[in-house]
Amino acid sequence: MKKGTIVLGIITLMCVSILALPVGAKTVLRWNLSTEPPTLDPALATDTTSVFVDEQLFLGLTDFNDETNEVIPELAKNWFASDDGLVWTFIMRDDVKWTDGKPVTAYDVEYGVKRTLNPATASDYAYVLYVIKGAQDYNTGEVEDASVVGVKAVGDYIVRFELNHPAGYFPAIAGMWIARPQPQETIEKWGDKWTMPENIVTNGHYMLKEWVHDDYLVMVKNPDSYEADKVQIDEIYCMMVTEASTAQSLYEGGELDVQEIVPLEDMDRIKADAVLSKELYIAPRLCTYYYGFNNEKFPFDNPLVRKAFSSAIDRETLIATVLKGEQKPATTFSCPGIFGWVDPAEEIGHPFNVEKARAFLAQAGYPGGEGFPVVTLMFNTSESHRKIAQVIQDMCQRVLNVKINLANQEWGVYLKTCVEDAPQIYRLGWCADYPDANNWLNDVFNSKSESNYANFSNPEYDKLVEEAAREFDPAKRIEMYKKAERILCDTDAGIAPIYWYTRVVLTKPYVERTYAPMGGEHIKDWKILPG
Amino acid sequence: MFAYIIRRIFWAAIILLILSLVTFTLMHMIPGGPFDREKKLPSEIIANLEAYYHLDEPFWKQYLNYLGGILHFDLGPSFTSRSRTVNDIIRQQAPISAQLGLFAFFIAVALGIPLGILGALKQNTAIDYTCMWLAILGVSLPNMALGPFLIWIFGLKLGWLPIARWGGISHMILPAITLGTAYSAIIARLTRASMLQVIREDYIRTARAKGLSERIVMLHHALKNALIPVTTVLGPIFAIIITGSMIVEQIFAIPGIGKYFVTSVTNRDYPVIMGITLFFGALIVIANLVVDITYGFLDPRIRYE
Repeated sequence: MKKGTIVLGIITLMCVSILALPVGAKTVLRWNLSTEPPTLDPALATDTTSVFVDEQLFLGLTDFNDETNEVIPELAKNWFASDDGLVWTFIMRDDVKWTDGKPVTAYDVEYGVKRTLNPATASDYAYVLYVIKGAQDYNTGEVEDASVVGVKAVGDYIVRFELNHPAGYFPAIAGMWIARPQPQETIEKWGDKWTMPENIVTNGHYMLKEWVHDDYLVMVKNPDSYEADKVQIDEIYCMMVTEASTAQSLYEGGELDVQEIVPLEDMDRIKADAVLSKELYIAPRLCTYYYGFNNEKFPFDNPLVRKAFSSAIDRETLIATVLKGEQKPATTFSCPGIFGWVDPAEEIGHPFNVEKARAFLAQAGYPGGEGFPVVTLMFNTSESHRKIAQVIQDMCQRVLNVKINLANQEWGVYLKTCVEDAPQIYRLGWCADYPDANNWLNDVFNSKSESNYANFSNPEYDKLVEEAAREFDPAKRIEMYKKAERILCDTDAGIAPIYWYTRVVLTKPYVERTYAPMGGEHIKDWKILPG
Repeated sequence: MFAYIIRRIFWAAIILLILSLVTFTLMHMIPGGPFDREKKLPSEIIANLEAYYHLDEPFWKQYLNYLGGILHFDLGPSFTSRSRTVNDIIRQQAPISAQLGLFAFFIAVALGIPLGILGALKQNTAIDYTCMWLAILGVSLPNMALGPFLIWIFGLKLGWLPIARWGGISHMILPAITLGTAYSAIIARLTRASMLQVIREDYIRTARAKGLSERIVMLHHALKNALIPVTTVLGPIFAIIITGSMIVEQIFAIPGIGKYFVTSVTNRDYPVIMGITLFFGALIVIANLVVDITYGFLDPRIRYE
């Protein structure tokens, strides 16, 4: 061979081998958002999809520890309350920047909170901030001046909140997406279009790179974030596959790294599969599934009748045969992980007990179900709710010898029905906005609450939950919430909790991850292992 | 012919106007509104929102406002997705449904018409029975069974085609087959029935008597006339297919507009409901017009004044 040919050959070989090297290989996490996020605006986000993306893009004063649900520092280095508990001061870090280079300051926090409360913004979640002085008045338009709201930047990096009453859980609220700093100039410049990838300005560990509606969304690591050297995953590629079986196929085909919408029908196959069973994990989710009773509607205006029905539901069997996701049977409202929840070992509530169920019904004046009217159980249209309703209908009919009719309505119509005139028995769920029983026992079942479709009303209960909201001492608060749960689920039996949700998740073995109980996953802490 | 087309366009506008009024009325009659939430919004905020979107104005005024917007080609905002307008949604996603639909339509026609002709020519033979059996299968298999089944075989087990989502031509094959086979079945049966009728006509006997080859008689003389009833349904089928089947788009995670037909109603997103319905209505009207003009080419006896 000619010398020139040999040299050419060697050079070609070198070029080819260089091209074959993974040049600057990025670590990419392929995630499924399962639906198009309705919004990325932190002031407007309500659903878990939007909250998931916002968690990567926008930092809050505080964050949550995934294992303990405790509040930990994020933008705020530390915080403290005044002696009377009415004033909270947060000291912020001074090394965080927006993606347009400007520093993130206390003024941005003040702007963010006021914008969420601005009635023109029409934020669904503004009510969570009503613990702040003046927030409700401003949000409902009673007062037009935003300066009545008790949030003020008292220095570039110090923000002060004034509350209506002491609230031990306030640091948790301060970290929620609705209270996060928002980029004023960008929002004022672009209006509703400020969240488009070409306009958006963020400050989180990830930035929004691309958003093709209904198709996919891409976030890339923010190289300037204060923990950038610890963030291992460079890119989060979020597809939007709604159909659970298709997502399952994509996961098994190696195109998706995490599968969070595992089809119920596949559970048995997955548990029996050698590979998939190891990738399966059942994590807690801070939600409770319950059947409410309209406490003002005959025959459920009688607490004995409510107790009878709650005692007739065999929650364990329901979970084992229908749900199959290792959910936990619930006889109290707040679920595990919520500050103020009650351990089932305390035996509060009405678990499955055939003799007691029949005894309650007899005491109510319907021995053996005699003379008991036909009642209606309503749920919002969905196959899974129907299956659960059918099983519970069967259980109650057999145990109590009563007749129950099932009815279902489309979600929007159903909500309206529950608000205007709740059915005798209606199905609902409640998920935590923040991990404190105030969000459960007070926000939902206080007799003045607009979410109290059960029309549950007990003055002692109201007093307990309102005092617990103001109480500083955690031990005292836990006692008060225990008493409140006893009233709600036991002595008055206003509702029948059914089960505490779980998340059934499949994760590829090369993804080292955490599980955030409220949906705002901390991808910054995740790793993709090589090989 | 020109005058005919102008007349048809005029009537199309009237039809769409009536469609818009009926949809608008029905939409506002459903209980529930766009601002109903599980965690109820304060009534003052709902009042603010309704004022902002002019939902507190009298019904007729809202309707006229909407029509005024249409004249400027402005179909309004989306209540669900605040950063997008209805124009954005249709502009960005209708072409995707259209691409998928065209491919599916092509499959439906390419499969259906030959199968129908074959069945007619070989009437009551094994070939005929096979063709019609395939047709029944196509019509009976629901999309939500066929789709995942094709994904499982060709995507997961064999790995020949992508499992789901949108991309190049290879992504279009499985969803187009899923979408097109049911319609190919309908087209096959209709073509067969129509051919059977046509080959008994006198002019076919004349053509044969003149000594023309059987091939010319069938494919040139009989087919053209047999296709007239088929063309009648092809128009609406085309419009239905290219506006995207919600089921196929959901199964294959395709970002078309199919899902908006259902989700807009669930969300009570009034402008999207109106925009999507009128878009679909306009397509059907145009498709029917094209079909009627095509008749003129297929059958010289059909003429319009």
